[in-house]
Amino acid sequence: MTARSPLKGALDSKGKQAAALVVLVGLVCLLATPYAPWLVAWPSVLTVPMSDWISQGLGVFFEAIKPAMRWVSWVLGFGMAGANWLLVSTPWVVVIGVTTAIGWYLGGLKMAALGFFGLLFVLASGYWVESMNTLALVFVSVPLALLLGTAIGILAYEVSRVKKAVEAVLDLMQTIPTFAYLTPLLLLFGFGPVVGLIASAIYAAPPMARNVLLGLERVDSDIKEAAVMSGGTRAQQLFLVELPSAMTQIMVGVNQSLMAALSMVIIAAVIGGFNDIGWEVLLTMRKAQFGQSFLAGLVIVVFAIVIDRMSGALAQERRRYSTRVVWWIIVASLVAAIALRDILPAAGTLSYFGGVADTVDQSVGDFTRNYGSTLDTVKNTAMFYVLLPLRIGLDDAVLPFTWGFQWTSAMSAWVYAIGVVVAAVLAWQGRLTLGLCLLVLIGVIETGVTQLPWIFVLVGVGALGWVSSGWRLSVLCVGLLGLILISGLWDRALLSLYLSGAAVFTCAVLGGALGLWAAVSTTAWAVIRPVCDMLQTIPLFVFLIPMLMFFQIGEFSAFLAIIAYAIVPMIRYTRHGLVTTPDDMIEAATSSGATEWQILREVRAPYAAPTILLGLNQTILYAFAMLVIAALIGTTGLGQSIYIALGRADVGLGITAGAAMAMLALVADRLVQGFAEERRNALGL
Amino acid sequence: MTGTGGPDTPAIAVDGLWQVFGEGARPALSELLTPGAATTDGVARRLKEQGLIPAVQDASFTVKEGELFVIMGLSGSGKSTLIRCMSRLVEPTGGSVLMAGEDILAASKRRMIELRREKLGMVFQHFGLFPHMSVIDNVAFPIKMKGVGLKERRARAMEVIELVGLGGREDAYPRELSGGQRQRVGIARSLAVNPDVWFLDEPFSALDPLIRRQLQDEFLNIQATLRKSIVFITHDIGEALKLADRIAIMRDGVIVQIGTPSEIVLNPVDDYVGEFSRDIPKGRHMTLAALMEPVRGETDAGGPELRTAMTLDDALSACALTFQPMAVRDGDGKVVGVLRPEALARAVGEAHSS
Repeated sequence: MTARSPLKGALDSKGKQAAALVVLVGLVCLLATPYAPWLVAWPSVLTVPMSDWISQGLGVFFEAIKPAMRWVSWVLGFGMAGANWLLVSTPWVVVIGVTTAIGWYLGGLKMAALGFFGLLFVLASGYWVESMNTLALVFVSVPLALLLGTAIGILAYEVSRVKKAVEAVLDLMQTIPTFAYLTPLLLLFGFGPVVGLIASAIYAAPPMARNVLLGLERVDSDIKEAAVMSGGTRAQQLFLVELPSAMTQIMVGVNQSLMAALSMVIIAAVIGGFNDIGWEVLLTMRKAQFGQSFLAGLVIVVFAIVIDRMSGALAQERRRYSTRVVWWIIVASLVAAIALRDILPAAGTLSYFGGVADTVDQSVGDFTRNYGSTLDTVKNTAMFYVLLPLRIGLDDAVLPFTWGFQWTSAMSAWVYAIGVVVAAVLAWQGRLTLGLCLLVLIGVIETGVTQLPWIFVLVGVGALGWVSSGWRLSVLCVGLLGLILISGLWDRALLSLYLSGAAVFTCAVLGGALGLWAAVSTTAWAVIRPVCDMLQTIPLFVFLIPMLMFFQIGEFSAFLAIIAYAIVPMIRYTRHGLVTTPDDMIEAATSSGATEWQILREVRAPYAAPTILLGLNQTILYAFAMLVIAALIGTTGLGQSIYIALGRADVGLGITAGAAMAMLALVADRLVQGFAEERRNALGL
Repeated sequence: MTGTGGPDTPAIAVDGLWQVFGEGARPALSELLTPGAATTDGVARRLKEQGLIPAVQDASFTVKEGELFVIMGLSGSGKSTLIRCMSRLVEPTGGSVLMAGEDILAASKRRMIELRREKLGMVFQHFGLFPHMSVIDNVAFPIKMKGVGLKERRARAMEVIELVGLGGREDAYPRELSGGQRQRVGIARSLAVNPDVWFLDEPFSALDPLIRRQLQDEFLNIQATLRKSIVFITHDIGEALKLADRIAIMRDGVIVQIGTPSEIVLNPVDDYVGEFSRDIPKGRHMTLAALMEPVRGETDAGGPELRTAMTLDDALSACALTFQPMAVRDGDGKVVGVLRPEALARAVGEAHSS
């Protein structure tokens, strides 16, 4: 960056100072580490046993409220059993009929067909009963979530003093990894599906609350005032005018809430004890029956798509479809169910796709046999040349076994020397910050993320915070990381940071490129868009199946799963930022004689920068969310700790590891937001 | 009810009304407004020094029974805030607003709801129609708030819908209507409870010029039969002059002049007001009273009959009547037509006023 405007000059010098400080601290650490190992490993003497404290503290608290909670659990158990009974004992013809009818009402023939064929597929897959069990959980948890979310949303809207606090809590609820919810609930409510039910109700409430609040705030002030001037009481204003006026936004909340609940219900299957479709996926995955697992995963995807598209239609301005057709479909299905009750097979007994599962198994087996070496090469190349050096540093990763030679300290010296020369050249060209950043990067790769001295990490993040927004953010970030450091979870946090960092970096590069491509070519977007839609509809869990099929358990599969899930926002936001540049700016550039490419580089890209940064932000949060799920297929780090805590019902560990994860996400989120804000201000947006 | 409006009680009396935005506005204002304190300007300056925003400063005026009172000002002049203070959509920081003698600002929450259900109607710039209700439900909403039964309120709503010329569209939804039709619904709704005081906040500003003129005319017709006490906000001096019985001109939160349309046009108190009316054709608003000279000696009793209240345009037409028609020639000097002078006078007057 060259300094032209005074603003940029000032920022530049801030950036330079920060980068110089980080390089300096890095140098000191590098020289001092051999003599002071405590720079890398936080001394265990100074570790505060937060996990134990929390376990004990909560243990007492939980004991106190357990009877009440068990009672709640008992009551909810009834609701669930009811819903379950209703869905499972209703003939499948009727269930399909009602779904089709709802589809017709919401979106005509197209939506009706989606419902009909979607459920037909579920029926034919042989997972009908499991699917209905899952659906029963969703049906009971979603109304709870909607009620809770609406109440929270209204509270935040009505009482402006608590709004900030409520929003912070909602942020937190959405950054805390899903698994972390489960452990405390498990202790309170005991093993069983009610835990999944409550977890999904809690998890699905924030999106509803957010959208209710947003919708209410967005109601035209003229409409609100008209309600006041009509002489409505506050309650009348709210329930007769404001909430109905905000209905479109609220329906977006319902859609998101449904999807969140479905996702959580499936994740909650890891607790077991309930014969649902998530459990089926998990079971078959553990048995390495990938064909069955794939099929069950497909059922989940079909469910997700049907629920998403139908509830999404609620949030759109839509044609009214005749209710007469709706009744006809329902009546027809009832008649069919009664007339054909002796002919139609029972739902669970069907299994037309068993062959398909076998074929999938077969062909995946064949594929891995035939191309196993290729797959291994892909995996090993990525592991040996990228992931491993990033994780433990060149000096440990480069071995005769991996790279064909042994890394020596002389080589390290050479790498540093070259880095210094390049940095000097860059500095001489006036790009000092870039040169310093390059040095930092070389240092990180040489050492490996997980072996970085904690002082270096804290200073580095603090410096980033300072540059991105100011000393307040800097203090916040260092404080949060400091908490993780003294909690004894530092090593695991670094492991998480390394894997998600690698995945986010890949997403940024790949997703950015795809987004760019989609921005310049409508054909490309026509292909990429449905894929993105699909990837965003699939519950997290399902991403693991194909990765496992081809790359077995391990870090690389997790890495791929994270990328597959987290790349979507990067693509979307990049494209969106690039294509929404105002027309008059493009016209001004065109009339100045700029080529398409020049316009892209000089006008669109700078304008899109804040949007792209927000995309990166989303990608980071997605990556963290997936990181925890990926613990199921063998990642190390905080995700694994949370998963272990769940298995041992160790609340303290579950909560601290979950909180550490949330803190990492929060730090990353605030840093990127800070940079995005700075860009927006610079553009005067 | 506390107010007992005698025949001379103004429909609305606003006195020393202040609206100051910002943290701690109320104590800051009451401290500055101690008797014998600074002028309005001085108080406003002191408030601004404290980081507060005085949006309405010391506004005082009265609106007579059945009067159409227009508040005119540019955006940011505080006119919208002022009308919201009077309807208590925002809480004024200081001063008083009496309606038929009753202090609105002292009214309890419940009394305020009652007043809105019985006595106040308001029309909004962006209509403020409820998107999930049909036209008739929108219009019937204030009556529903009163607790009137479905049948009765629908009947009353139909009456006002007919009044604004929307009969036959009562089952339509706001999104299916044009801008002009939407504001007709807004007007109908504000009249549904047959209010005594009618607030209109830039009701026609969001409409096309043609529709705007049409609605202005219909509005005047409605007012001619209903005779409400009206506070009407606009930023358009043409609209203000066309509609108003009296106009208050606001600038930066201060009412700088109150007067009839011709007073505003002919005797602007300062350049700011003068600037507004500069492009306004004087002939339409100026009366002969302002132009005539004192009688000195004999005056020719003949000629047209002129009255002091006549506008210049009318007087000019009247004078022109006394002249004979004159020949109009083409380029070669040939007579091709006849011009009657009064036609000339009228045409010039109309050209100015359009």
